[in-house]
Amino acid sequence: MTPRVFSPLVLFLVIGFLIGPFFIIVAASLSGGETLAFPPQGFSLKWVAKVFTVESFRESFAISMLLAIGGTAAALVLGVPASYALSRYKLPFGETIRTIVSLPIIVPGIIVGLALLRYIVVPFGFNITLTLFLAHTALVLPYAVRVVSASLNNLRSDIEEAAVLLGSSRAGAFFRVVMPNIRSGILAAFILGFVTSFNQVPVSLFLSGPGVRTLPIDMLSYMEITYDPSVAALSALLAFMSIGIVFLAERFLGFSRYV
Amino acid sequence: MFQNRAEALALALPAAVFAAIVFLAPVVILLAEGFRNADSWSLSAYTTFFSDPLNRTVFLRTFRLGLMVTAVSAVIGYAAAFAIVNLTPRNKGQMIGLVVLPLMISSVARTYAWIVILGRTGIVNQALQLVGLSDEPIRFLFTETAVFIGLLQLFLPLMILSLISALENMPKDAIPAARVLGANWFQVFFKVILPLTKEGLVIGGTLVFTGSLTAYITPAILGGSKVLMLETLLYQRVTVANDFVAASVIAFILIVMSFAANLLLKRLATARNKR
Amino acid sequence: MSDAAFLSLEKLTLAYGDTVAVKDLDLSIRKGELVAFLGPSGCGKTTTMRSIAGLLTPASGAIRLDGADITRVSANKRSVGLVFQSYALFPHLTVFENVAFGLRLKKLPATEIESKVTAGLKSVGLSKFSARKPGELSGGQQQRVALARSMVMEPKVLLLDEPLSNLDARLRLEMRTELQRVQKETGVTMIFVTHDQGEALSLADRIVVMLNGAIEQIGTPEDIYNRPISRFVADFVGFENIFAVEGGKLAVGNGPIDLSGSLPPDTAGLAWRPRMVTLGSGPFQGTVRGASFSGSTREYLLDTPLGAIKAEEDAALAARETGSTIAFDLPVDKAARLKKFG
Repeated sequence: MTPRVFSPLVLFLVIGFLIGPFFIIVAASLSGGETLAFPPQGFSLKWVAKVFTVESFRESFAISMLLAIGGTAAALVLGVPASYALSRYKLPFGETIRTIVSLPIIVPGIIVGLALLRYIVVPFGFNITLTLFLAHTALVLPYAVRVVSASLNNLRSDIEEAAVLLGSSRAGAFFRVVMPNIRSGILAAFILGFVTSFNQVPVSLFLSGPGVRTLPIDMLSYMEITYDPSVAALSALLAFMSIGIVFLAERFLGFSRYV
Repeated sequence: MFQNRAEALALALPAAVFAAIVFLAPVVILLAEGFRNADSWSLSAYTTFFSDPLNRTVFLRTFRLGLMVTAVSAVIGYAAAFAIVNLTPRNKGQMIGLVVLPLMISSVARTYAWIVILGRTGIVNQALQLVGLSDEPIRFLFTETAVFIGLLQLFLPLMILSLISALENMPKDAIPAARVLGANWFQVFFKVILPLTKEGLVIGGTLVFTGSLTAYITPAILGGSKVLMLETLLYQRVTVANDFVAASVIAFILIVMSFAANLLLKRLATARNKR
Repeated sequence: MSDAAFLSLEKLTLAYGDTVAVKDLDLSIRKGELVAFLGPSGCGKTTTMRSIAGLLTPASGAIRLDGADITRVSANKRSVGLVFQSYALFPHLTVFENVAFGLRLKKLPATEIESKVTAGLKSVGLSKFSARKPGELSGGQQQRVALARSMVMEPKVLLLDEPLSNLDARLRLEMRTELQRVQKETGVTMIFVTHDQGEALSLADRIVVMLNGAIEQIGTPEDIYNRPISRFVADFVGFENIFAVEGGKLAVGNGPIDLSGSLPPDTAGLAWRPRMVTLGSGPFQGTVRGASFSGSTREYLLDTPLGAIKAEEDAALAARETGSTIAFDLPVDKAARLKKFG
């Protein structure tokens, strides 16, 4: 049959197209030359090493980490109770609330960044880092609600009723019975939120100030100044970080069930 | 189902209020600004925006690139998804992993790779000169072609994944049944596979189309100021000209498109749940 | 190969990747025959059927149909019909359009398609359902649509994959009658695949028993039921007491046992159904371990020097007590003689 001959070729080309550029970045970042090139001119780790010495990279990495971890944690603090209400209660205006909470996934990020800049940062002199934090929290919120809801919906709801009948309070039932069972869902939401927030560009585009920038934005502006391979090295390092996190998550959580 | 409404609202409202204040309100004000002209409601911002030929070019280019990326990703997506679903379960899992992998990598990193490939001294130019097809380096960067390739690479996985799930939901043996009844591969595709995977195609297509439409990084890195798309134009209008009115117009276009796409997807999801 | 061969498989070898599913299979089928491929799952019966349909290209060997070599002819040009186990109706098309599917591809005139589809649906009793979608039909109705869809193409051979296995007992009888009617009316050559010996025995003119990608025995239902030639076939059709024969003696765990009467030299084994075992007299002794009553008969499990023996007696006779010792015989003249024991 025709497809039998055709298929391996198609797969080779498509996977090559999707993954190939990543290998090129890795190779280019190990170059010994002064400019970005492939094949790399000689082998050296100097660009990888340089990444760690660029002051702005270190600062923006710290900010991105703070936003990704703090923002995701905040999104879960808001999102877990909301998911619980949405899946277990007869919630008034449930659909409206679900839509509002999932808006950040629908509205293009650049618009949100601009709106926050123009109506919150500029008129009220709001701190940029704090605004970024709010923006990233809102951005992760839809993912948190979606993943945690999926996890709650897979859990029988009569276990809380059983806990209450056995003398537990409603809150007690949640922490004793529900939480332990959706722990891996929450962890999956955290990882998805972290990766999304960390790689996010458009929201943060307008939200940068002196010394305050997320890492991807910093990379974009570094690129405008110089084409040396350090951005390639940083890209490769970040990619490995993401792949590593997702791989571990898949290995130990069956991450793909939640995404 | 618990019945206590106050308890339910106490749990759900913080998230909703937060999203409303941080997201909804500023965005609504921004959009409203585009319909205001000196204290009255007006569409003048829109007529002004579309009377500028550059804006029109960018608007049309964004849609054209979006459609092209969607169409090409559909063709490649079918071929790839068909090949993947016919693999052994083990190989299939690995292949799907390879398709998902790029989605987890920062799009800055993914787009950046194309500079190495398409640049003046990039791989493509080296290869062309090596085989003597050209003497001078050809300019690929900052062309529509480069933006197209970048967007395709970015969004193709979404199409492949939608089509894989559509193909897997096709009734078993529908394809061999059509073959035995006399259909050639072309007819099998158009009479059986396409109608049975239509929904997956629409889902994948919507994701790819809205993704391309609202892309920022790819046109910024690979298109620069030569190949502006709506989002890069928005950024430029704000940073270069402080033109918030144009920004609001672009924002409105983008939001309308995103909402329309989202509504379509929701419709499909409910239609499928009913069956 | 006989001259009358309408469909013949010659040294057919089929493989999925490196896994050989069927090896060097030879078989010829006459025009108008109703043949069953019988065997446990994984024996290669469905694989063989798919290769006849052209859905699997043979690694080697040839398939001839009506005088032409069709080994390399693609599935859409073979005039072979296939009714899938899952029926494989197209869910996006109405019943009418499902049946018309192949006719439209043939580019027949619309009126001819109309009349053929109408006749096809009428013959399976589904005229009323032509505007429905397959999802609105029961399993049995879907299968009849699938049958009509194949039959309107007037195939030279009709293949059916487990045609009765997804149906409940009443529908099974209905479908069996339906298939026999179609075969009688059209004279189409039919091959069906089944893992159920009862289906094969009741429906087929000839049965091909397959095991591990090869033919174990070919014969009429009577041949297969009464004269299995291998241990596997004997076991498959319900012979419960099966023994190897070496040097004219029964080979059992405690050493060879002499048999009354002589055997042809190529005898590799003997097999008895429970009801062939004589109870109450004979050279052997056994202890009754258990008994079960099944209405018209009683079945006993005996512990004997030959090993466990299953015997059956008319239920009208007095029940034998568990623990009692009784004489029994394995009459050689009644036994099935196995030429293959392995």
